[in-house]
Amino acid sequence: MAHIVLDSLVKRFGKQTAVDKLSLEIKDREFIALLGPSGCGKTTTMNMISGLLKPDEGDIYFDGQSVIGTPPGKRGVGFMFQNYAVFTFLNVYDNIGFGLKIRKLEEDEIRRRVNEVARLLQIRHLLSMSASALSINDMQRVALARSMITEPKIFLLDEPLSNLDAALRATMRAELKKIQQEAGQTAVYVTHDQVEAMSLADRIAVMNFAVLQQYDTPYNVYNRPTNLFVANFIGSPTINFFEGVYKKGAFAVSDFKDGAIPVSRKFHKDVEESLTQERVVVGVRPEHLKVRGDKKGSSLNLKAKIVSYEPLGSKTVVYMHPDGNPDVIVKSVMGSGYKPKLGEINFIDFEEKNVYLFDKQTEDLALRFS
Amino acid sequence: MEQKLYVRALKFFLIIVVTILFFFPIYWVFSMAFKPFPEWTAAGGQIFWYPHHPTIDNFRAIFSRKLEMSPIAGTAIRPIVNSLTVSIIGTGIAMVVGVFAAYGISRHKAGGNLPFMLLQLRMFPPIAILIPIMIMWAFLRMIDTWYGLVIIYGVVTLPFSVWLMKTFFDDIPKELDEAAIVDGCSNIGAFFKVVIPLAKGGIASTALFVFILNWSDFLIALILTDRRWTTIPVHISKLQSAMVGALYGPKAALAMIAAVPPIIFGIMIQKYLVRGLTFGAIKK
Repeated sequence: MAHIVLDSLVKRFGKQTAVDKLSLEIKDREFIALLGPSGCGKTTTMNMISGLLKPDEGDIYFDGQSVIGTPPGKRGVGFMFQNYAVFTFLNVYDNIGFGLKIRKLEEDEIRRRVNEVARLLQIRHLLSMSASALSINDMQRVALARSMITEPKIFLLDEPLSNLDAALRATMRAELKKIQQEAGQTAVYVTHDQVEAMSLADRIAVMNFAVLQQYDTPYNVYNRPTNLFVANFIGSPTINFFEGVYKKGAFAVSDFKDGAIPVSRKFHKDVEESLTQERVVVGVRPEHLKVRGDKKGSSLNLKAKIVSYEPLGSKTVVYMHPDGNPDVIVKSVMGSGYKPKLGEINFIDFEEKNVYLFDKQTEDLALRFS
Repeated sequence: MEQKLYVRALKFFLIIVVTILFFFPIYWVFSMAFKPFPEWTAAGGQIFWYPHHPTIDNFRAIFSRKLEMSPIAGTAIRPIVNSLTVSIIGTGIAMVVGVFAAYGISRHKAGGNLPFMLLQLRMFPPIAILIPIMIMWAFLRMIDTWYGLVIIYGVVTLPFSVWLMKTFFDDIPKELDEAAIVDGCSNIGAFFKVVIPLAKGGIASTALFVFILNWSDFLIALILTDRRWTTIPVHISKLQSAMVGALYGPKAALAMIAAVPPIIFGIMIQKYLVRGLTFGAIKK
């Protein structure tokens, strides 16, 4: 129904560039997430798609047609705001029917459609209530209903779940996905929460400082992050980075006293080819980094002192200082049965296939050993 | 923690003192309005704390065609009508211009330095510019006309209406306008259908404030009006005679009448005066 193309969009606010040369293609019925820290330009991008903001450069196409000159109300988009933007001076029924009323539909038709949407979202009992009396959960549903009622082909969601409590967020996540699939809409979802992005989206566009960093499936964003920023932003707890240099078939990482991470012979050529210079950043995700009492069967001789830990039930997150450097934190995710002892010095171990190699100069991913 | 008895006593005492201080003038006007001549005049050298012989003679006097004691002041009907006319129209001008200007400033950062220039209008008292204005008005033949007064009232109170309304608009999340626009409203449609209903409380309280300013103005009306368009405050000042001096009784009676419109207006919009109508639209 709707295939969206953003063609090198630029938006500036004064001297600040909010979005810089953003190009994205969103397939019909695809659910994509715009993910990034605050101020990275994701909401600006969303506002340009909806038409609330006009890009300074570039073009936006819906189904091959440029929509730059089309006002927001005629673009066929539904917008759900982070703060819901429910009109408190109207009752729930008038809130949901607002868009239809603006479009001057017959009163009967409005009533039929409002009832239909209200049934779908299970808020029929609220219809006559004043919107100012709603709980935050109901307000969220009313906002959803209002953006759905015009049957938009494109659904824009700006952090719609961030005001909900954790339990409800999970329920609503599933519900949103279901509704989007049933309605067959193209959806763009803005969030700074990677869990939401990973669980909902077919593809994730990771943004930082106005620039698109990576646009790929959740699997690839996690497993093949294009650069240090994406690797650091995706994954919880965050990835461990060790800076060092590549010399003679091993990475010498400076945070550890004897910080040699050997590279298997078969990868030597790949590593050399992928790097522009010798300085590297070695990334290892905490879930791949294990704490061990001895170094049996390991090719690594990296020692770290346990400084704190978080027993999270299903897993235990362990925080350590590498022996040579108390300013650096090494994180490891261990099983639920693991009982760390504070102050204990242990070996850390990880497999070569789990290493992310970044070029220190360009900050781009140089190599995965698999 | 329970307060000590003497602390509470002191608090109540202070509250009572302050209350008396503030209410005494109101009481004095009220009681004065119902006193007969011998009680309100200063001639006898005696103070009457309340009307010993209540009468409505003072009210009769100000509405009579010719005030017996004062040859210069006519009936008070015309000044009352004048005051209502110029205050309402002046408030209307300040509100219409103010609401639109404030919305532009709040949402679109329109006008550059204009908001601050408007604020500068309040840095000197209006009287400072009144002489030049009087000369201009004299040239334009706008002295002693309703529009001459109304224009000045609208302009003098404009900074208040712009800045008060701006803070109210700032409090309305812009997502609400945006939601309406995405739903198919034009910019102006969103303004009238969403922003104005949400700002109703602000508009009402700003209008009341501006109205009171215009209603109670004395200096501007004194200088820019003469006979036909004198307002209540000017008329009150005219209530005196060579024989008795200031006619405190009739003055008090007219002052009491003058207090009525703001009170009615206030009661009418009372439910909008409660701020916080927009809060709750948005979970912050």
